[in-house]
Amino acid sequence: MFKGKLGIIDLSKNKITIKQTPDSLKKLFYGGRGLNSYYLYKMIKPGIDSLSPENVLIFGTGFLTGTLAPNSSRFNVSAKSPETEILGDSNCGGYFAAELRYSGFERLIIKGKAKKPCYLYVTDNKIEIKDSKYYWGMDTTDVQQFLKKDLGPVEVACCGLAGENLVRFACVRTGVKNAAGRCGLGAVMGSKNLKAIAVRGTQGIQIKYPEEMLETVEQLKEYIMNSKITSILGSVGTPLLYEVSNAIGAIRTKNSQLNAWSDSLNAEEIEKLVDKMIGCSSCIVHCRHRNKLGGEGPEYTAVGLLGANLGIEDPADVIELNNICNELGLDISSSGTILAWAFELYEKGIIDKKITEEKLCFGDFELAKRLLYKISRREGFGNILAESTKNVKRFGEKSKNYLTAIKGLPQSDPHDCRYIKAFALGIATSSRGADHLRSRPTLEIFLRLPQEVKERIYGKGIPNDPTSYIGKEKTVYFSDNIFALIDSLGICKFICHGFNSPHFVDYTWMKKLIYSASGWTVKEKELESVGKRVIDIERMFNNREGISRKDDTLPKRYFDDPMPLKISKGHCIDRKEFDKLLTRYYNLRGWTNDGQVKKERVKKLEALA
Amino acid sequence: MKYLYVYPEKCTGCRECSLACSLSKFGECNPKKAAITIVRDEFNRYEFPIVCFQCEDPICLKFCHQNAYQIKDGIVIRDKDKCIGCRLCATLCPYNAVTTFDDEIVKCDLCDGDPKCVKYCSTGAIQYLDETEELEKRRKDMAERFLEIFKK
Repeated sequence: MFKGKLGIIDLSKNKITIKQTPDSLKKLFYGGRGLNSYYLYKMIKPGIDSLSPENVLIFGTGFLTGTLAPNSSRFNVSAKSPETEILGDSNCGGYFAAELRYSGFERLIIKGKAKKPCYLYVTDNKIEIKDSKYYWGMDTTDVQQFLKKDLGPVEVACCGLAGENLVRFACVRTGVKNAAGRCGLGAVMGSKNLKAIAVRGTQGIQIKYPEEMLETVEQLKEYIMNSKITSILGSVGTPLLYEVSNAIGAIRTKNSQLNAWSDSLNAEEIEKLVDKMIGCSSCIVHCRHRNKLGGEGPEYTAVGLLGANLGIEDPADVIELNNICNELGLDISSSGTILAWAFELYEKGIIDKKITEEKLCFGDFELAKRLLYKISRREGFGNILAESTKNVKRFGEKSKNYLTAIKGLPQSDPHDCRYIKAFALGIATSSRGADHLRSRPTLEIFLRLPQEVKERIYGKGIPNDPTSYIGKEKTVYFSDNIFALIDSLGICKFICHGFNSPHFVDYTWMKKLIYSASGWTVKEKELESVGKRVIDIERMFNNREGISRKDDTLPKRYFDDPMPLKISKGHCIDRKEFDKLLTRYYNLRGWTNDGQVKKERVKKLEALA
Repeated sequence: MKYLYVYPEKCTGCRECSLACSLSKFGECNPKKAAITIVRDEFNRYEFPIVCFQCEDPICLKFCHQNAYQIKDGIVIRDKDKCIGCRLCATLCPYNAVTTFDDEIVKCDLCDGDPKCVKYCSTGAIQYLDETEELEKRRKDMAERFLEIFKK
C-alpha cells in the first residue's frame, strides 16, 4: 500500500484504534508536519497543561517518507510544547520514520497517560503497549541497544533521562544523534510514561508509477549532486555555516554579548575529529559526522551554542558536550542558550550562589558538563534550569533582557540576527518560537548572490543587501511556505529550494515526485497553498493560546544593543522598521494587523476534514 | 566481464541501492526485499553493502535440484519458472546474498548490465567495473574479510 495507517493509542484506557487518514485531508496537508499540525488543532483543547494526560503527542511520517525520493527519511513529532505552551513540533531524520512506514503505519497519535512506564512495539499492522520498567532510567543509547537486543532489528525513538524527568527542553531521539530536538517533546513522552517506540516493518511502500519514480529520482539526484554545496555538506556537514556566520560577525558569543568567536571551531578543525560521514535513510547528501569521541555530530547549532555561546574554544570539548546532550536526551539549542543566559545573569549579579550553588562563568567546560547532567536529573540548580525560559518568573523581569528566546523558545540558530533582517523576521514569526528551521532564507548570507537570482525565487523588489528591511517579508514568506511543505513530504530541508542553495527541490520537482508515488496530479500553485494552509493552521493553534502581534518580537538585545565586532559592527534591529516589516508580512499572509488568522479563513479551515 | 564491487568505507548506509532495487524489481520501496542489502549498525559504527558476487562456482547453482540456475555471460541467473521456491539457495549462499522475502526469492541479475544499485548510489560505494586483475584481487580480499566477520 502507498497509503499507511493511522494508529491512535490511548495510554490511559490502554486502547488502540487503527484508522486511515482520508485522501481528501492528505491532499490539503500531505503528511508529516502539515497533518500533525492539523490533528493538534483538532484534538487539543485550548489552555491545557502540556504535561498533563490531555496533551496529544503525534509521530507523523511525511508523504514520501521511506521511498526512493532523495532524503525522504523525515518525520515530525508534535504536541503542545512544555517549553512554550504553544504549538510544539520538531522534524527529525534517521531510520525510524522509514521503518514506521514499512510497518504499515504513517502516523501514531498518542493520548492520555500510562499508569506505569511503557513503550510501544509496532510491527506489521500491529501496535502493542508493553511494560518498560526495565528500560526506564536508561540513557538514549542504552535503551535503544537493549530494545534491539530484546526485540531484534528494530528502529527506536525514545526519550532520555531528561524526558523522564520532564525537563522542558528534553528531546526525542532516534539512533546515535538524530533528534526531534525542539520544543521539549521528550518531556511530553515522559509525562505520558512513554519511554520509547520500537518499530520493525517488513512491508514495502507500493509506488504508483515505479518507472517514473526511478527516472525522476535519477534526474533529481544528478541535479543535486552537481551542486557545489552538496559536496561541501557531504564532506564537512553543517559546521560549514559556523565559519560563514563568524566571518560577518554573526555568531552568538557568550550569550550575545559578543558576535564573533574563535576559528578553532571552523569546519576544518571539526573535520579532524570525524571518522566518517554517514547518511539518514534515502539520503544522498550524507552530512552526519561519526565523530572520534564515540558519538555523532556536532552540527552547526552545537558548534555555535555549546561552543561560542558558552565561551568554549576546543572542538573536542564541544563534541563531548554534544554527545552528552544526545545521551541524556537534551535539546542542544535550548541547552546552549539557557546555560549561556544563566552564566551572564550570574556575571551581572542578577542571580547568585543562593540558587546557582556555585560560581558560573563562561569558558568552563567542566561546569557546562556538570550542569547538563544536573539538568537531566533535575538536581539542585539543574532542577531550576530544567524549567528553561519559564525561569524569567524566578530570576525576575530584568533577566528577560538577556534572554535570547521568542515565545518562550530559546533561539536555535547560533546566528546573531541583528545583521540579516530576514533572519530576524523569520525567528520572530516562526510558529514554534525562535527557530531558524521554519523559514531561514539562508541565501541572504551569501552576500555576493546576484539580485536576479533572489528575485527569481522570492519575487521582485528584493535588494541584495541583507541589512535592508525592504522586501524581506517576501523572502520569509516564500521560505516559510516551501519549508512547511517539504516538512510535510518527509524530505530533508537540505535539498529544499532556497534553504542552502538557489536550486534543488522546488514545487515542480515535488509535483513530479508526488505524481510518481501516488498518481496524484497537482499544480505548483496548489502545492504552494499547502504550505500556506499549514502555517495558517499552526497560527490558529497559537492564536487560540493567546499569541498575537505582541509575541512576534525579538530578544531585547537585538533591538537595543549594536553588534560590537566585524562587518556587523554597529548593526541592530530598528523597532520602527521591524514593525513596518511585520505589518507587510501579515498583509502577505492575509492575517489581521494584530497577527490573527482572519475569521473567514478560520471557519474555512475548521470545516476541513 | 563486469561485476559489482563494494567499498564499505564509502557507504553511508542510506539504502538508496536497496530501494532502487526493490522498486525496479517489485514496484515497491522496501529495503528488505532487494537483491542488495546494507547491513548497518550506527551504534557499532559500520555500514556494509552485501551483494551477490556472481561466483564462478556458485553454491546456489550447484545445489539447486531443479536446475533453476544457469550461468549466462558470467551472470548467475535464476529461472523463475523452474524454481519451486524451496529457498535452499538462500540458505546455502555463504554471503547471504540470495534473499528470501515473503516467499519470494530475490537474486541479483545485474539488471541486464545496468545495475540500479550502482546508479542510485551517491558515493560510489557500489561500482560496476571490469574485472581487472587488481579488482579481482580486491574482490577476493573482501570476500575473505567478510567470511572472517561471519566467523565471529
